[in-house]
Amino acid sequence: MSRKPAKGEYIETDTGNKVSRRSQIIGTTNIILGGKTVIQAEVIIRGDLLRTYPSSNPNEKQGTPVAVAIGRYCFFSRGCELRPPGKLYKGSFSHYPLKIADHVFVGPGSIIEAALIGSHVNIGSNVVVGKFAIIKDFVKILDGTVVPANMVIPSFSIVAGRPAQIVGEIAEGEIEGFDLREAYRAVGNS
Amino acid sequence: MAEFKPYTYFQCPCSDNSVSVREVGGANPAGQEETDEDERTFDPRAPRANYSLYPLEHLLYCEDCHQIRCPRCVLDEIVCWYCPNCLFEVPSSSVKSEGNRCTRSCFQCPICTAPLSVSSTEPPPEGLGAEYATVSGTYVLNCSYCLWSSKEIGIELDKPNSVYAQLAKIKNGGEPLLLPKERRKALEERREAGEDGSHIPGSKEEQELDAESHFYNLKSFYQEQLSDSSPAGALGLTGDYGYGSPGALSRIMGLYTSGALGDRKSKNKSGTMREAHDALEGLQITPLSASDAIARLCTSGWEGTASLSQRREQPHNPRFVSDLRPVANLLRTKRSKRCKTCRHILSKPESKVQKTHFRIRLVALNYIPNIAIRALQAPSAPSGLLAPLKPTQFLLTFSNPLFDSVRVNIATPAHTPGRFGSKVTILCPQFEVGANTDVWDEALGESGGKAGSEREKRRTKAEASEGQGQAEAGKIWERGRNWVSVVVEVVPASLRLDGPEFLKSEEQRRDAGPLREDEDVLEIPVFVRLEWEADVAGEEGGGLATGNKEKEVREKRELAYWCVLGVGRIAQD
Ligand SMILES: [Zn+2]
Ligand SMILES: [Zn+2]
Ligand SMILES: [Zn+2]
Ligand SMILES: [Zn+2]
Repeated sequence: MSRKPAKGEYIETDTGNKVSRRSQIIGTTNIILGGKTVIQAEVIIRGDLLRTYPSSNPNEKQGTPVAVAIGRYCFFSRGCELRPPGKLYKGSFSHYPLKIADHVFVGPGSIIEAALIGSHVNIGSNVVVGKFAIIKDFVKILDGTVVPANMVIPSFSIVAGRPAQIVGEIAEGEIEGFDLREAYRAVGNS
Repeated sequence: MAEFKPYTYFQCPCSDNSVSVREVGGANPAGQEETDEDERTFDPRAPRANYSLYPLEHLLYCEDCHQIRCPRCVLDEIVCWYCPNCLFEVPSSSVKSEGNRCTRSCFQCPICTAPLSVSSTEPPPEGLGAEYATVSGTYVLNCSYCLWSSKEIGIELDKPNSVYAQLAKIKNGGEPLLLPKERRKALEERREAGEDGSHIPGSKEEQELDAESHFYNLKSFYQEQLSDSSPAGALGLTGDYGYGSPGALSRIMGLYTSGALGDRKSKNKSGTMREAHDALEGLQITPLSASDAIARLCTSGWEGTASLSQRREQPHNPRFVSDLRPVANLLRTKRSKRCKTCRHILSKPESKVQKTHFRIRLVALNYIPNIAIRALQAPSAPSGLLAPLKPTQFLLTFSNPLFDSVRVNIATPAHTPGRFGSKVTILCPQFEVGANTDVWDEALGESGGKAGSEREKRRTKAEASEGQGQAEAGKIWERGRNWVSVVVEVVPASLRLDGPEFLKSEEQRRDAGPLREDEDVLEIPVFVRLEWEADVAGEEGGGLATGNKEKEVREKRELAYWCVLGVGRIAQD
């Protein structure tokens, strides 16, 4: 195929993010990327689903609103989707921000509507993380799991099933395995 | 079929006492054991092997015993209890008194286990100023996963918080449930009434006790009986040992009621006790006829019957879905781990629930080399299966986490155990793996890490002359800063059982049954022996050791254990 050699699969940003040209990122001004994050082809990030319900905290900065905040060294595999969760509250429907910390891996085809995902979280393929779920640090979610809405998953849990249940604990020696720096470096741009 | 991922499992030596670490030159006579060790093989398919093989990540290491520790040879100690849903810590005193469930508002759906959320039964206010309207009315627990609602069992709540306390007062259907305090009061009132003779035993309301009242009634009845009989019995001195004796019962109850019986005033009366004879005293008559249950089964049908997993979550063993109750979240623990042999702590998490740091974390990963497996050639068959009787080479990469170089000896049986013995040859069974250098340049920022890996690449090239990347006997394949790759050659066995008799192994002649589950997985038992010289001064007691650093004491160490390498599945021809 006659593709220009300079144009690789990924666009590399100043902070080292590798964003596939074939991903769909909507509402880019409402998305924060911490850096060194990989976004593969066919990934959808819905930055357009903004909060419309006024914040209860008046001290909150009135700058650009954030729909999706992502930390460093995250890895979003082919075809996964990040959607800020939404709900009806006191008569009006609003979306709420989706926050993802560092070293979070999301497998291919998974749909994430969580409120918060902590650091060092590994989400398998074809997982659904329901609305307003909270996933703490060092959690592994196995392939095909459906995490129900509002579920809280504490640190060091292994989660599986439909609906998700805690099926095991992360062993002490598995902690290093969550680091995604190697995975980031392994992504070549060709 | 799912793709086969090569794996390495390590056997914890606690499963076999004869394999143990010895200090070279120590008092332990080595001779006899040495020969035993060399002759013994390890069968990864043996039923017992399942309980001693672990991925390296699951193993700890005791620095005092110089030995691997697995979940079977460590002691767990609870650091704190917490609710996995609200993440609040629960003090151990309330775990003792209230039980091991969250007493706030954390509940799971009795149908599907998803979390329940509280919502108002009133329709949400609409229109102008809706957000200022106060929500009134009653609340229900809803499951967002299967759409179950506590309305289905007739439970509605007055307020959205402290659900546990509210549920404790409501029966399914909405009738009030007595709290222990109220129950006691009611019992006393009724007893007084009963003494007047106006008490009618056997009224409907009394006959059906819930589990809590049942226990309470029985407990107070027997406590009374005990206080009426000999107090000597409480000490077990009366000499009668039957279960019906006051002494034995007092001891048993003492176990459950934490000695409250001891201070009962004594009446110094000895004698036998009578049994409870009505619901007030805790008597519950088991209905002999199941006609009620059968009638309910007929009307509610299969859908109305609780499944086994649903019943298991409930304390009262309900038969019908309409008898299920929301399940309060089971508490979870943070635990530290101790070596069972020397009691030293191997792992200690931060005690705060939300903190994920460890104060102590001695993982085997930092003490013994990991073994990675990779096929040397791309598999010929597109299925990724191993072709039977075709020599296939695998690369085993040993990476050394220690800051001392390690001499590695590996040995395998010539044929893998089992009915289908594959031929195994390690081309280089003895080699030295270089020391790990400071991990800080790798851990601190990634610019250092990048430079490090490039340096490593260069070094690999420079040292490649040693291995040449050729599968040659006695030579390693490739070497890096702290890793070495060696080649193992495998001739996978044929899985056919219809071959000529003289070609069959002894096991095959004995058992010609069809292929069993995972019998096609080629697993190689490998005995690994490590020898290295440890810097004792630097290792023991950190701060104390810095003073006498000049006299470096080096100590010979040896560690030996079995591993199992799962290299692939053999194709069935
Ligand atoms: Zn063990
Ligand atoms: Zn709770
Ligand atoms: Zn449910
Ligand atoms: Zn020990």
